[in-house]
This record gives sequence, C-alpha cells and structure tokens, in this order.
Amino acid sequence: MAVSASPSAAATPGLASPEWGGFDASRTADPGSGAAWRGFSAAVRLGWQMEANWTDPFLFFIFSVAKPVSAALILVVMLGIVAGSQDQEYRSFVVVGTALWSLVLAGIAGLAWSVLDDRERYRMLKYTYVSPADFMLHLLGRGVARVAVGAMGAIITITVGILFLGVPFDVASVDWIGFVVVMVVGIVAIVAIGVMLAAVCLQTRQESWSYPDAVAGAMFLVSGAVFPLAVLPFVGQAIGLVNPLTWWIEGVRMAMFPGGVNAIGGTGSLWTQLTGSLAPDTTTTALVLLATGALVTLAATSIFRISERRARDRGLLDRTTGS
Amino acid sequence: MSVTSGPPAIAARGLRRTYNVKPTAVVALDGVDLEVPPGEFFGLLGPNGAGKTTLIKILTTLLLPSEGTAKIFGFDVVDDVKRIRRIMNMVAGGEQSGYGILTVREQLWMFSQFYGLSRGEGWKRVDELIDAVGMGPERLQRVGTLSTGQRQKMNFARGLLNDPWILFLDEPSLGLDVAAARAVRELVTSWKAAVPGRTVLLTTHYMAEADELCERIAIVDHGRILAIGSPAELKKRVQRESIFRVEIDHLDGGPSALAAIPGVVSASPAADEGGQVDRQSVILNLVLEEDGVLGGVVVALSRMGSHILALRKSEPSLEDVFVELVGRGFEDDGAISEPVEVG
Amino acid sequence: MSLYEHCRTASPAEAAEWTRRQIVMTDLRSVYGRAYPRMSGMLREPSWVFFEILLPFLATSAFVFVYRALQAPPQYIGFVVLGGALTSFWLNVVWMMAGQLYWEKAQGNLELFFAAPMGFMAILFGMAMGGMVMSSVRALVVLVVASLVYGVTFEVDQWYLLIAVFLLTLAALYGLGMVMAGLYLVWGREAFQLNQLFVEPVYFVSGLNFPVMSLGLLGALAIATIPLAVGLDAMRQLAFVGSPFPPGTPSVEVEIGILILMAIGFTLFARVMLAALERRARRVGSLSVRWQ
Repeated sequence: MAVSASPSAAATPGLASPEWGGFDASRTADPGSGAAWRGFSAAVRLGWQMEANWTDPFLFFIFSVAKPVSAALILVVMLGIVAGSQDQEYRSFVVVGTALWSLVLAGIAGLAWSVLDDRERYRMLKYTYVSPADFMLHLLGRGVARVAVGAMGAIITITVGILFLGVPFDVASVDWIGFVVVMVVGIVAIVAIGVMLAAVCLQTRQESWSYPDAVAGAMFLVSGAVFPLAVLPFVGQAIGLVNPLTWWIEGVRMAMFPGGVNAIGGTGSLWTQLTGSLAPDTTTTALVLLATGALVTLAATSIFRISERRARDRGLLDRTTGS
Repeated sequence: MSVTSGPPAIAARGLRRTYNVKPTAVVALDGVDLEVPPGEFFGLLGPNGAGKTTLIKILTTLLLPSEGTAKIFGFDVVDDVKRIRRIMNMVAGGEQSGYGILTVREQLWMFSQFYGLSRGEGWKRVDELIDAVGMGPERLQRVGTLSTGQRQKMNFARGLLNDPWILFLDEPSLGLDVAAARAVRELVTSWKAAVPGRTVLLTTHYMAEADELCERIAIVDHGRILAIGSPAELKKRVQRESIFRVEIDHLDGGPSALAAIPGVVSASPAADEGGQVDRQSVILNLVLEEDGVLGGVVVALSRMGSHILALRKSEPSLEDVFVELVGRGFEDDGAISEPVEVG
Repeated sequence: MSLYEHCRTASPAEAAEWTRRQIVMTDLRSVYGRAYPRMSGMLREPSWVFFEILLPFLATSAFVFVYRALQAPPQYIGFVVLGGALTSFWLNVVWMMAGQLYWEKAQGNLELFFAAPMGFMAILFGMAMGGMVMSSVRALVVLVVASLVYGVTFEVDQWYLLIAVFLLTLAALYGLGMVMAGLYLVWGREAFQLNQLFVEPVYFVSGLNFPVMSLGLLGALAIATIPLAVGLDAMRQLAFVGSPFPPGTPSVEVEIGILILMAIGFTLFARVMLAALERRARRVGSLSVRWQ
C-alpha cells in the first residue's frame, strides 16, 4: 500500500488518503511553534485551575498571602528584638528579601510539585509525556500558576511592609526599566532552578514534596535575602556571588528602594576584595544577573534532559512510590 | 452449630443509597433485598453504574446505607463494624494501592500485622500465599515495579491473609490476561472449597467467569436487582426449552419423523458449522420441552436405525440473559421490571 | 493440611470476637507495620539525607547569620538552633501525618486500612513513628552540628526535665497531628492546600527564632494553643538557664502543665473525632473518592 504525503494530490482518494482514514505521514512532522504555544497555554490554564479551584477566592487569597507575610514578620520581629525599631533601612532590607523569597519558593516548587502531582496523585505524567507537546514546556506552563501566586504574595508582602512596617518607599525614585529587566531575567533564573529540582523529583520518590522548601531554605543562606553576604565566611560569599538569586534580589532592591543596605558589597566583603568597589552598581548587577542566570538556565536544561532520559531508561515516569 | 446452619453470610433488606452530588442526587441503590447463605459463591452482574460497587462498599463497611439494613454473618454493617472487619476481606480489580518502595513480601507482611497476625506467623503466611498465587520469583520485587497482573495476584494474596469467612471480589479479573485470570479463578475456587462456610461475593463483567464460578447470580441495574438465580435458572428465562444439536448417520422420514415424538417441540435441519457441502450425515436442531425428552428421542432414533454421531446441547449464554433483562429496562424509559426470584 | 484448609477459627462468630489482648496486640503490630514502609523508604532512597538533613541545616544557619548580622546576644543563636531542631518534628506532623491521609486516599490505601480490623489511630501512630526516625536524625544534626559550628553554649540545670519536656512536646505535637489527619478525611484537597498555611505562620506565632512572648498577647495565645510554641519556649528556658526572657513568659512548670493537657487532650480529641469523621466519611462516601 503506497503512502502518500500529499493526500490531496489524488483525484480519487485511495486507501492512503485521510478521507479513508489512512495513514498520513505528514502528521508526524513537527507541528511548529503554534502547537507549542497551544500546549504551553493549555498547561498554564490547567495549572491555574489546579491552584485556584480548591476553595473560595477569599480563602485562596488568605492562603496565598499568609505564608510570605508571616515570613517577613519573623524577620521583622527578630530585628525588632535585637536592634529595636530604629533601623528602618535594615527592616526594608529584610522585608523585600523575604517578600521576593515567596516568589523564589513558588518558582522552585512550581515545576517540582507539578512532576510529583502528575506522577503520584493524578497519574497523568505518562500521558503528558507521550503526547506531542514538549514535556518541559508543559511543566513550565504548569508552574506558571504557582509563580503567579508567588508574585501576588510578594507584592502584597511589600505593600504590607510599606503600609504597616515602616518600609520607606518613594514611587518617584523607582527605576522601572531596571526593575522590569531584573524581574524578567530573575524569574527565568528562578524557573531554571525549578527545572533542576523537577529533574531531581523525576528520580526521587513521593516524599520529595518537601524538597522545594528545603532547597529554598538552603539558598536563603547564600542569597543575601535577609542579611548581607559579608556576614558569611568567604566560601559562603563566593557561592552567593555566583548565585543568580543574590543578584536578582539586589537588583530589585536597587530598582525599587535605591540607596538602601547593599547585600553584596560592604567593608570586608569578598566582592570588595575582588573588585575594589564597595558595592556593585545597577548595570553591574544586571549584567552579572544575566550571566549567572544564563549559566543556570543552560545547566538546568542539560540536567533536565539527562534526568528525563534516565527516567525513561529506568521506567520512572509512570511509577508510584508511596510510603 | 456449623457455619452453614448459622446466620446468612449476607442479609440485606431494603438497602438504599443516595449520593448527594450536584446537580441532582444520584440513587445508586434503590431498595435491594438479598440473602446469601454461608458457603455460597454469589455473583453480581450489571452494567456500569448499576450499583454493584456501592453494594460492595456498604457490605464491606466503607459506606453507610441511606436506608435499610445489611448484615454479614449476623453482624450489622452500621454498628458491628469491627467484628465484620475481622472476618472479611476484599479484593478489587484495577487496584493501584500499595507502597511502591516495599517488596511484595513486605507489603503483604504489613497487612498481616493489620489483621493481627504475629510477626512470625505473618511472614510464614505471607510466604505461603506468595507461593500459592505463583509470585515466588517476584517476592523480593518492589511493588512499584509490578505489572498489572502481578499486582492483582499480590492483592489476592492480601485478600486471603486473614482467612476471611467472606471474601468480596470487585471485578477481580480486570486487566488480567487469560492465564492469570484462570489462575485466579482456580485459586479462589480452591480456597473456598477447602473450608465449608467460606463465602464469596463476586462482581464481574465477564459472563463466562460468572457462569463458571457462581452458584447464584443477581443481575443488577439502576440500583435494583432484576433477577436472582443460578446460571441455569437465569438462562431458562431466555430460553425455557432445551435445544440440542444432533448429528446422525441417516434419518428415514426426515426431521418430521422426530417432531411427532411427545415432548419434541420442533426438529429442523441445522446448518453445517464446518461448511462441508458433501457431508453424508444429517445434522438436526431439536427443540425439546425439557431435557428428559431426549431419552425418548434417542430410543426413537435407534428404532429408526439411525446412529448418533454427535450430540451437543445449545444454551443461551448469560450475556443473552443480561441483555434481555437490562436492555428491557432501557427500552422502557427507565421502568424496571419487577425483580424475579428464579428457581 | 493444604494451605487453603488453614483456618484459624471454627466459625465467623468465633473469628469476629477478639479478646482485649488481641485488640491491643493488633494495634501495636499495626503501629510497627505502618512505620515499616517509612523506615524502609529512608534506607532505600537516601536522597533524604541531603534534602532533609543538610539543606534544613543550611536554612537554620540563615537565621543564625541574621542574628550575627544584627550582633545579637549569643543566646539568640541558641534559640534559633533549638527552633530549627524542633521544626523537623513540626514538618513531620504537617506533611507526613496530617497530609498523609490525603495521599493514602489518592493511592487507594485508605479504604483498605478502614476495611481492616485494627484501630485507625494505630495507623496514624505508625506513620508518626516511621517519620520520627527521620525527624530525629534531622533534629540531632541541626542541634549538634549547628551548636558546634556556631559555638552555642547550653546552660542546662535539669536535664531530666528538659528531656521530659521534649517528649511531652512530641506527644502533644503528634496528638495534634492526629487531629489534623482526621480533618483531612473531611476536607480533602482543601486541607492539603491549607497544610502550607501551617508552616511559616505557625513558625511566626510560635516564636521559632525568638522568644514567643516577644509577641505579647499573640504569643500568649500561641502558648495556650500550639504545642510547638509552648514546647519550644519551655525547652529554651531549660536549655538556656539565666537568659533573659520577655516579661509575662510563663514558668516552665506552667508550660509543662499546658503540654500535658495538650498531649492528653489532643489524643483523646483525635480518638473521638476520628471515629466521628470516619462515620461521616462513610455516610458521605468519601473514603474512596480520590479527587475530592
């Protein structure tokens, strides 16, 4: 039976014609970016449905906000106990850091939990995987909703900080272009870290639910989120300097709250020793963020593909691993 | 007092179950009366959504009835929950339960602890059952790596761990290949036959399985029992006569010679299933009022000088029964025929 | 006798009646049985060592460095280390007990557990025991390593009391975990999501990194209601004798009394509630609906 790649060529449809339900080889061709976008947006819609439909909007709002606001309050109280309420600048430092950290956790957890959700709870991972849609694009789409929820939490925490916790904010001094650039590059880096963690979760068992929290908690130490890197030993500072999250948080601080405490530089810091400058400027921050973010993204893509292949090789894509 | 003379294994009266779901409530069971004596292999047949699983869940104490009562060996499914759980077990088809990280042996041993076996007794029983279900080579394999059939065998082993007096099987052959399904049927049959009083309630879509295993069957649809009886009795609903296909070397006088015999409803030539055109023998379809008339036919054939080359009884299948009963319900716009106790 | 002739009792009536000893022994065996998968999982997939031990240690270290950046008095470093150690158990309660029933239902294990004759609290207790091994290792690592690395000096006068308070805190925590687990039978996925509310907000009101009475009335409320808050505060007072605590901090004796009440109260309440919730789940039909 001849198989025609151009079914419309024959005047009378033969057995190979789609009109006869015959095999059309052209269907195996790459469907193009349109299909990729459709797959991604379907995954985004799915992710949003799953994130937002489990309760009423009010409770959903409370849930989304309570976690990051509480995290900020922990730091504010710690600060208040030791330093009193006088050091407004440092309060701004910790509030912004913890607010942005909710976005970090959401981004890191979004993809990892999607893997675990789909594999363990809904048992849909194998079906998604064998569909023509790109698997990583699907996971990215699923993670978008969590990132959006994290962003909402970050915005509200900063707002609470400005309104109730004495965080100084001057709209006129905000560098909006810098803010947008830093946010875009930063979120890409965050999602890349999430991709790496998703790759890990493809290999590990159901109890990996807590891994995103653990990873975020560990990175908290070396990101300059709630204290300047200069407090850490040099090894810690070195790790912090190659961590894109450090530059992202600092970039957002510089853009939104210019003139505040710098997390990267400072007297005796590794940065100062390496560069001679007390603190990096905005351009340097953005460029280093771009460079470190690119490295992380490349690494994440490679790690994910390796993990995916290993999962296929060992039959991990459709297993359940409860204990 | 022997088990078989004690209370019924299952006694359900006016059982009703309604699920309050949106947009309208679903009546899953609509007044089920059922009695299964101890030692019986009882089957439930019905289309999807008929209420079979709901009935099993009520009897296995996982679900409360909305109305009515049900007892297992005299223990009420609402109030005597603990007692029932000590004497029953359940195996469902298509189960994905289990901890993937454990081996088959460990998984079963864990359940043996839930059923009160001592540690050593548990391991011993687990090893025996693993061999009995034919999973010896897989005993140290992780549950997460088992095939569907292997997982189901493991589930069967779990179902027999506590020597239940009543075993509930909810579509147990689902997903099993022919050999595995046969092995499972043999296992259950052997287990049941070993001790008088052991009872099995089976739900299945596989007619042949129900026909082979069940002593009595209830056909369920729309939450009601449409008919109860042995497979033979149920088939008589569809076909009250006995039909035989007989091959003889010759017949003087043709089929009409046999039609005159008392008890013979009709005798007609049958199509040759083998498709042979030049066959010398004669094949007839005989419709008799009952099986007992066959003797007279054989005598008559002998007197006529005919020799019987082959004789086979044709019966309707349970599928015919099922379609007739359930299909009638759909055609009547939901009006369900009154349940009939057959036999 | 063939395998199938093996029959432990002569009749269903005999099989249905268990002695008190049989009931108790079955529950105890079930505790061990249910803990077994947890413990096996730890040995068979060792990635938890990195994710459950090392990384949380680093997370605790972050708060240590916050205090260092603020040049806080040294006992505050100790507060953070002790708090970090206790979070192991809280997270075990929240993720491995409370949320676990949701997973069990999704996997189809829940209905098998309910169809078996052991008490359901034995299952929950087994889950807790199994998870406690990992949590204990994590807590020990955080406590010992962080104390050594960050130079924490403990001032303990009454070791036996400190250990007793620790055990009471665990009892109260896991009692609360059983209560929360029961709620999952009812709330389904909503409870699973709400689980995440019980991390940072609880850390805040429990004073994970600072004396809880620094929060004033909120701290007092936390001490009265959250085992983590009252246990941590009592342990801090016993582990850092002589350190200043905010005004209004209840004495250790009062906090021990609260812990005892919590341990007994939560456990009893869990027992009553689980029975009621099981009945409700059977009435509603939610024991085996997976995506609820």
